[in-house]
Amino acid sequence: MSKPQIVAAIDIGTSKVVVLIGEIFPGDRLNILGVGQASSLGVRKGDILDFMSACNGAHAALLMAEQNARTQAEVAFLAQSGAHLDGFAQRAEVNVSASDNKVRPIDVQRLLAEARKKELPTGRLAIHHIRNSFKLDGRAVADPQSQQGEKLELGFWTVTGDEAHLSNAIHLVNGYNGLEVKDIIVSSVSAANVVTPEMEKKIGALVLDIGSGVTDFALYRDGHIVQTGVVPVGGDHLTNDLSLGLRISRKHAERVKLSFGQAIVDAQARSEKVWMVGDKSVGDRYIPRLAICQILEARVEEMFSIVKKRLEHLGASLTPEDVAAGVILTGGTSRLPMIERVAERVFGLPARRATEPAWLTESLRGPEFSTAVGLLFFALNAPGRNDAKNSPPKGDGLLNQLTRWFGV
Amino acid sequence: MSNPAEPPAHSDAIAQGQMPEDSIRVKIVGIGGAGTNAVDRLQLDNFGLGLRIAALNTDAQSLNSSPAPEKLLIGRSLTRGAGTGGELEVGRQAAEDDRDRIAKIFQGMDLVFIVAGLGGGTGSGAAPVVAQIASEAGCLVIAFVMLPFTTEGARRRQLAEQALGELRVQCDAVIPLPNDLLLQHLPEESTVLDAFGQADAWIGRAIRAISAILFHTGLINLDFATLRRTFTPRGGKTLFGLGQGAGENCVAEALHDLMLCPLLHTPELSRRADRLLVNIVGGPELSLARVNEIVAAIAEKFGSREQTVLGAVIDERLAGKLEICVVGATEVRAKQTSVASLRTAPSGLRADGPVTPNAPTIFAKPPAAAVPAVPPPVHTSKLRGTKDGGAAQNEFHFVGNDEQRGYFDSTDRNFFEGEDLDVPAYLRKGIKIEL
Repeated sequence: MSKPQIVAAIDIGTSKVVVLIGEIFPGDRLNILGVGQASSLGVRKGDILDFMSACNGAHAALLMAEQNARTQAEVAFLAQSGAHLDGFAQRAEVNVSASDNKVRPIDVQRLLAEARKKELPTGRLAIHHIRNSFKLDGRAVADPQSQQGEKLELGFWTVTGDEAHLSNAIHLVNGYNGLEVKDIIVSSVSAANVVTPEMEKKIGALVLDIGSGVTDFALYRDGHIVQTGVVPVGGDHLTNDLSLGLRISRKHAERVKLSFGQAIVDAQARSEKVWMVGDKSVGDRYIPRLAICQILEARVEEMFSIVKKRLEHLGASLTPEDVAAGVILTGGTSRLPMIERVAERVFGLPARRATEPAWLTESLRGPEFSTAVGLLFFALNAPGRNDAKNSPPKGDGLLNQLTRWFGV
Repeated sequence: MSNPAEPPAHSDAIAQGQMPEDSIRVKIVGIGGAGTNAVDRLQLDNFGLGLRIAALNTDAQSLNSSPAPEKLLIGRSLTRGAGTGGELEVGRQAAEDDRDRIAKIFQGMDLVFIVAGLGGGTGSGAAPVVAQIASEAGCLVIAFVMLPFTTEGARRRQLAEQALGELRVQCDAVIPLPNDLLLQHLPEESTVLDAFGQADAWIGRAIRAISAILFHTGLINLDFATLRRTFTPRGGKTLFGLGQGAGENCVAEALHDLMLCPLLHTPELSRRADRLLVNIVGGPELSLARVNEIVAAIAEKFGSREQTVLGAVIDERLAGKLEICVVGATEVRAKQTSVASLRTAPSGLRADGPVTPNAPTIFAKPPAAAVPAVPPPVHTSKLRGTKDGGAAQNEFHFVGNDEQRGYFDSTDRNFFEGEDLDVPAYLRKGIKIEL
């Protein structure tokens, strides 16, 4: 067994930074040693607006996690979200080279090289090429190696990001005692991988990670992610809508959202009134719960329809047959009562809140942690340092060797 | 909130036409269909300020039915008086073609209110040009523009956004009235027409309030120059709010009403100001202590006290009542210099220049250059970092300083299918929220 590696999983969200310190025995097992959290400042809608404030938040969380774990991180895995992320589907095909028509590893390598050829606009970087099922002469095969056929095809979902945003995030982590970022994983992929059971990945599932600033989504078909995306709307928008609609401060709006928020107007909400502050202070006033729920419902419904439109725009099928496991909601905002019912209505699919894997300790099971836990997963399955076969080609600096291959 | 359409209680001197000859000359110009309708209503309401009203349109039919005393059909050769068909460029060209005739409207005026509905052709296209002409004539230009309902579609919204940006450059102050927002203040069963009426009522109220600043001699007097200075340098975001209160707690009530003013809750309007002008109109019992209280509270909310200019007017008819009007401006980076420099031109130029067709120094600019690109909405406000405890104001349940500045103000706008996702969803969908 190889020596364990101490990994920091860093998720810089819009409202808070979550850091998990994990002890990784590559390809074997992982122990979560410490947790650190800090409120995130200077981040809006998943993008870093104020570098210094964001630094302070992230470094505080890192420090807390390291103290909690009583050890220091050797490398970091970083989650990335924000509106700058984009993606596109592509297909690559090669003719099987061997004369006996048996697929060799070299054919697969050529296929992957094909996908890499796609040129990106200046300033854009490919973060992931997520492969979908292989097709050999038109039929889907799980593993084409040693099978016979003439033409080998592979579909990819390529996730791209803005170079400046990515290097900013890396610098931020580097600023913490020179901590090295080993890999960047897109939040949607990271969270989806944790909260979706293998079975559901096979039959098709749509995972929505609704955070404070953004909503990340990932669509599974046949066990692979076929599409991801980011909608720059999240819990902050709920709060902002409440603040403007009810003419109350952000602070009070946040409290009202957490205490009385509900994504659907029901009979009870129609008649109830609630206190804005609730401590009988001067200036406190009654707010009809109907108003609160109407505002939230309008926003949540719109948020889901945007995700739906984005998916359909890229040709994804959202029929109950193709997405049999339905919609899985995670992220802090998925705690909003009845939000799953709005998702059911909009997508016409069964929807539920995500359940975290049973082996996770109680304190890490909140939907806020899915992304960070997912990062540790990737660290676990990441190619080891000496694993020459899978390691990306060496370039100068991390950005050049950023692209990660999934499922290859 | 009392009905904004009710006649003003404080229009004495002007109502009776006692304005001395050398006083400030004000003209209200309605542009396009919506603008003309709005000024017609002002005319009908006839709140007696002796204001001069003019209507300007590309549509002859709509113009004919307007009771405005001064009417101008523009772009006759371009559209044959049949309107622009929603084409912004046609509206712009129509105004460009008739620059000389438009300039005549503004001859000798000091203050011009431009009223237009954005999203159509004439309002969006012609208004920035008209504003520029008025500025060149040396007028202080304040525009009230109605923004289309989100449900009217992305195209209209886009046109409106573009025109709004251009207007900000050409006017001293632009006060947008989003129809989405005004609908919120109407009962459930009200119609779209009611919402348009609501916009008109707000415009009337705002024009009265600004006129009150200028025409009433007060306890603490504000003059035209102060108003003008508030909006210098130009091109900033405007802050505008009105509040009324009556009875024993009129101060608290008026402040509360001001806080609820829908115009202070739009993404298009600023919520903090680098320069702020507060005018208070109250009955004879208005004491300096009260005035102080109000100003402290308002300065706390919208800007720092040093930058706040105060006016207070006593109106006998307002016994037991109080009206507050706040006007302010936030600086944004892009500044208009070409018009500002014209301002300081000798007065001879100001009077004759715009009407003379051969004044090439002013009109040599091609139309494209005359209407600069939309300034980027980047704040250079000095208020960014101010953070001080406003404990004394808690009784009016004011909120912390940073809290009500639109949370997403500093981020890029968030467009999806032509709608800005940072604007509350319920507003864009026209869902009425009862408080």
